Amino acid sequence: MAFGDPSQAVQAAAGSSLSRVSASSDDSQDTLILTQTEYLDRPWLIRHLRRLNEIGKPRLYGQQLSALASHVEQQLKPYLGRLLIDVLEDIAPILAATLIQARFPHSLSYITGMAQTPLLGQYLVQINGFISARNETSLADWIALEPPFNQHYQDMVKELQAAYPRGSDDALEQRCTAALKAAVEGDDGSPWTSFVKFMVQYLAYLRNVSAEASRYLETYELLSELQQRANSALSHATLGHLILPTVVMNAKLVCRLAIGLDKQPELIAHLRRSGPGAGGGDEGGGRETLPERAANILRQAFVTCLNDRVSGLNAQGKPEGKKKGIYNIANLCLKILFQCRKTRNATQIFENIYNLSPPLSAYPKRQRVTYLYYLGRFLFQNSHFYRAQLALQHAYDESPARPECARQRRHILVYLIASNIILGRFPSQELLSRPEAHGLSDRFLPICMAIQRGNLAAFRQHLDLDGPHAEWFLHFRILLQLQNRCEVLVWRSLVRRTFLLVGFRPTDTTGNKASTLNIDHLVSAFQWLEDASRAQKGGEDYTDPDFEDVEYDDGGFRIDITAVESRLASLIDQGLLSGFISHRLQKFAITGTKSKGGDAVAAGFPQVWDVLRLKTERAGTDDVPGWKKEVVGGFGGGQRPGPGMVFNLSGLRPVGAVG
Amino acid sequence: MSGAAQSTASTTKLQDNNQDQAKTQTAQPQKPAAQLEEDDEFEDFPVEDWAKEEEVGAQQTNTHLWEESWDDDDTNDDFSVQLK
Repeated sequence: MAFGDPSQAVQAAAGSSLSRVSASSDDSQDTLILTQTEYLDRPWLIRHLRRLNEIGKPRLYGQQLSALASHVEQQLKPYLGRLLIDVLEDIAPILAATLIQARFPHSLSYITGMAQTPLLGQYLVQINGFISARNETSLADWIALEPPFNQHYQDMVKELQAAYPRGSDDALEQRCTAALKAAVEGDDGSPWTSFVKFMVQYLAYLRNVSAEASRYLETYELLSELQQRANSALSHATLGHLILPTVVMNAKLVCRLAIGLDKQPELIAHLRRSGPGAGGGDEGGGRETLPERAANILRQAFVTCLNDRVSGLNAQGKPEGKKKGIYNIANLCLKILFQCRKTRNATQIFENIYNLSPPLSAYPKRQRVTYLYYLGRFLFQNSHFYRAQLALQHAYDESPARPECARQRRHILVYLIASNIILGRFPSQELLSRPEAHGLSDRFLPICMAIQRGNLAAFRQHLDLDGPHAEWFLHFRILLQLQNRCEVLVWRSLVRRTFLLVGFRPTDTTGNKASTLNIDHLVSAFQWLEDASRAQKGGEDYTDPDFEDVEYDDGGFRIDITAVESRLASLIDQGLLSGFISHRLQKFAITGTKSKGGDAVAAGFPQVWDVLRLKTERAGTDDVPGWKKEVVGGFGGGQRPGPGMVFNLSGLRPVGAVG
Repeated sequence: MSGAAQSTASTTKLQDNNQDQAKTQTAQPQKPAAQLEEDDEFEDFPVEDWAKEEEVGAQQTNTHLWEESWDDDDTNDDFSVQLK
C-alpha cells in the first residue's frame, strides 16, 4: 500500500475495508462484523467512520469527525433504521467518498458546508440519480430556471447563501463533483465534467438571481453564462442530449430577456457607451450588441444539435436525441435577430439548416410554422418574393385555425399578402374578411386599387413616408419593398390604361400592322400623375435656409420621352409588357397579338402573376433555400451529409443557364 | 436510488409548481387576444402540434385566397376620364 500518496491510500483502504465487510461477515480479523440483526444508526456510523479514518492520512480529529458524522447521518437519513446487510452496498461508496472529500479539499469548511446543506445534498443525490438513469425529463423538471421558485428551492437557496456565498464556487464545485458521481464517471469512459460545471453555475444562479425588474441585466448575464455552461454540457457525445430540454428552456429565457433589454435601452445604456460587457472589440467596425451576443450564444447550442452524429430520425421519422433541438433553438435565435433587426446574421442559420438538418416536416407543427415564418420574412427582406410567398403560404396553411392563434396567423398574413401583391396577386375578399385579417384591407387594398388603375399619384400617396400608413408599414418593415416593387406594376397598368383609351388598334387584324401607342400620350399621362403626386404632398418640402432664394424653373419634375422610354424598356425587360419601342416613330408597339387571337391587350399586357411565376419556375428557383424538404436521395439510408461526404451534383445547372 | 419516499414527495411538489407555471403561461397570451393590435413579436403557438383537420389549409373555406386576374377594362371611371 502506497502511503506516500494519501488519496490513493484512503481510497484503497476505504474500499478494501468495506468490501471485506460485505464479502465475509465472519472474518475475525475485521472488527466490523455484520449480523443479521444489525441496523444502520448513528453509533454505527460513528464507529465505522472512526475505523475508516484510521486508515491512511491525513486523519480527522474531534470536531471534524463529529461534523462529518452529522453530515453523513443527514445524507443517509432515508437509510437509517434499516438492516445494514440490505443497505451496505448503497451507503458504502457514499461513506468512502465523503471521507475522502472531507480529508482533502478544505477540510473543515468543506465538512461544515456539507453539514449546513442537507437539502442541497438531497438535491444533488436526485440529480445524480437522474443522470445514471438517463432520465432527461426529470432532470429538466428539477432544474427550475424561472423565478419565482417554489418553497423547496427557496429553502435550498437559503442553504446555498449561508454555506456557499459568492466567491466560494470552488468549494461548491468540489461538493458537486463529489455528489454527481454519475456525471464524473460519464459514459463509455468519457466523463461529463461539463455537467458538473453547469450544475455549479446553476446553483450560483439560484443563489444570485433576483426577479426585480431593475436587475434584468444582471439576470440576463447570469442566464447567458448558464447558457454557455449548458451548451458545453450539451456537446458531450453520448450524454449531452440529457440536458437538451434544459438548454431549450434556458434559451427561451435568454431570448426573452435579450429582447426585453433591447426594448429598454436605459437598462443597457452604460454597455453601449463602453465596457467589456458590450462585446466587440477595439478594432473598430460594428460592435456586437447585446441581442446579437445572445443570439450567438444560442447558436452554439443550435450548431451542436445540428452536427450531432449520434442521433437522427427514429423509425417513425421523428427526430431523436439532440436533433430534436435544431428548429427550437434556431427559432429562438431568429426571434432575437428579427426583433433586434440584425437579420443579416440569420443567413448562417438558414444555410446550416439547409445543408445539415433533417427535413422540416419531421418536426412538430409549432416549430415548422414558426421557422417558415422567419424564413419567409428573411426571403422577403432579400427580395426573393416568390420564395417568400411559398414559405409563408405553407406556414399560413399549416397554422391552426383555432381562434386563439389569430395573432400568429396575422403576422404570417401581413408578409404573405405583401409578397403576393408584389408578385401581382391580390388578396381576395374571402381572405380579407377573416378575423386575423381584421383591418388589413385598409392597408393593402388601396395599393391594389392603385395598381389596378395605374394611379401613380394614389399609389405614392398611400405609401408616402409622411402619410398615415407609413408607420404601420415600417413597423412590419415592408414599406420600401412595396414602394419600389409595386410602382413598376402601377406603370404597367398606366401604360395599359392609356393604350385602352388612346392606343391604335388596326381594324384589320390579319395584316402585319401592329397595335401601337404613341409615347407622347404616355409622357402626358406620367407627367399628369407626377404633378398630381407632387401637388398632394403640397409645398411642404423642406428647403434649407441657404437655398431659400434660389430660383428653380417651375419646380416640377419633368417627364420627357427618355424617361418614359426607360420605364417602358424596364417593363419589357421584366416581361410585364410584350412589345418593343420604336424610338424613331416614338411609339410602343405590341407584339404577339395574333397568337392571342387578335387581342392586343392580352398580348401586350400579360398577367403579372403568370409572368413572374413562370419566370421563377423556368429559372428553377422555386426550390426554397433554407427549407429542408426531404433528405436528399443521394445520401442513401440513414446517412447524413457531413464533412468528407460525396454530394450528388447531378441536379446542378451550368453557370448562367436560365430555363 | 436513495431516499425514495422523500424524492417522490418533492417530485410531486415540483410538478405541481410546473403545472402552475404552465397554467399562468398559457393564460397570459390570452388576455390581450381581444385587441388584435400590432404587437412586435411572433409569439410561440400555445400548443406543440395539431391535427391536419385543424390547419387553416384544411378548412373548407380555404379555396379562393388570391386574385390573379384583376386587370380592369372599364375606362369610364373617374380616374380614366381624368387621364383622358
